[in-house]
Amino acid sequence: MRYDLSVLAPFYLVFLGGLINTLLYSAVSIVLALIVGFSAALGKSSNSILLRSIATIYVEIFRNTPFLVQVFVFYYVLPQFELALPVALAGILALSLFTGAYMCESIRGAVDAVPKGQVDAARASGMSHLRCLYRVVAPQMIRYLLPPLTNNMIGAVKDSAILSIITVPELTMATQIAVGETFGAMEAFTVSAILYWLVCGAIELGMQRLQRASYHHRLYPV
Amino acid sequence: MTFDIAFAISQFPYLLQAAGTTIVIAISSIILGSLGGTFLAIARETKPQWCGRPIALYVSFIRGTPLFIQILLVYLSIPKFGADIPKIIVGIIALSLNAAAYVAEIVRGGLSALQPGQIDAARAAGMPVSLIWMHIKLPQTFALILPPLTIQFISILKGSSLLSVIGVVELTRLSQTIISGSFRPVEIWIATGSIYFILCFTLGAFASHLERYASRFRR
Repeated sequence: MRYDLSVLAPFYLVFLGGLINTLLYSAVSIVLALIVGFSAALGKSSNSILLRSIATIYVEIFRNTPFLVQVFVFYYVLPQFELALPVALAGILALSLFTGAYMCESIRGAVDAVPKGQVDAARASGMSHLRCLYRVVAPQMIRYLLPPLTNNMIGAVKDSAILSIITVPELTMATQIAVGETFGAMEAFTVSAILYWLVCGAIELGMQRLQRASYHHRLYPV
Repeated sequence: MTFDIAFAISQFPYLLQAAGTTIVIAISSIILGSLGGTFLAIARETKPQWCGRPIALYVSFIRGTPLFIQILLVYLSIPKFGADIPKIIVGIIALSLNAAAYVAEIVRGGLSALQPGQIDAARAAGMPVSLIWMHIKLPQTFALILPPLTIQFISILKGSSLLSVIGVVELTRLSQTIISGSFRPVEIWIATGSIYFILCFTLGAFASHLERYASRFRR
């Protein structure tokens, strides 16, 4: 049994490039997923039955099918409808919509955690629905939202590894390139696992800081 | 582009057969992962300090790395021990190792939500530790953690699609094979997606049925 990490030394730039791409794709997807998630959460709580069913169908479909299948649909099925996307774009789109469905549920959970009386009181004192959301619900839901949101963000980083299957040039793809050159599959995947671990650890630490800050200070002027 | 429903129907029996493999993989991994995860959570709670650190490290590693890479690592490392194991078993091992870490974390969360007064009362009444676990801690914990556990089980079921990468012929792998022979990705991916959807949805519905039954164990 051979295990020699030094064969990977010449490929540090490949790993670094892959890592940067993974960070980039995940970051873009997380931002898009937040937008999608908030829209879907608003849609699910709307009075219009049309918006509500669109949001529900979206969330249920994306939460109940494997991400791999979704990626294949975005990459192989859309071109059949004259909608050929570049790999990176197809990957980011799939990742955003998948993560967005989970974020929608996280957001709804956080909103539900805000005591109902607060909303009733705000509405009774004459605040409009939107103003109540912005002034009363949003500042209080942040602390309930941050922990599940951290999980969603880490999930997005980890799921971005699956994009390597459609040849998006991120960390796992870079690892496979290094494997092809060195035949050190065990070593290469250990290195990329540790890199993913570090990224996820960093996100968790950063979000914990934010969480603590949200307890000590009001994030919004009330 | 034409949508050939007859083709989708003609391939459906094969897809269903592969879905059977997916179900077998998912159920085995769910059972093994739950047992392993519960064991890890109990070990972390009861055993001396030295036990906690490695378990925490294991849980952190599994939760901080992609399932895809974990599957590849397990797939690559098993032959290094000289064992000749069928791929489907390798896949179940990988998924179970992954699930155990998540279940351990969920069980730990559930245990910390129990009322300490009950355990003190049981201890004061002279109940042995094993009975406290069996009759007081675990039943209440599982009633409490059923919703997050369901989400985890569904993600194991969905994660089994990644075993296609190491060549386990389950639903996703078979779909790819059919597509490479027929060049009809639309019909097959829609059919495959629907089968996954139905499986996950059924699992979720079963769990919420179970939850209604389990709610009688709460407090």
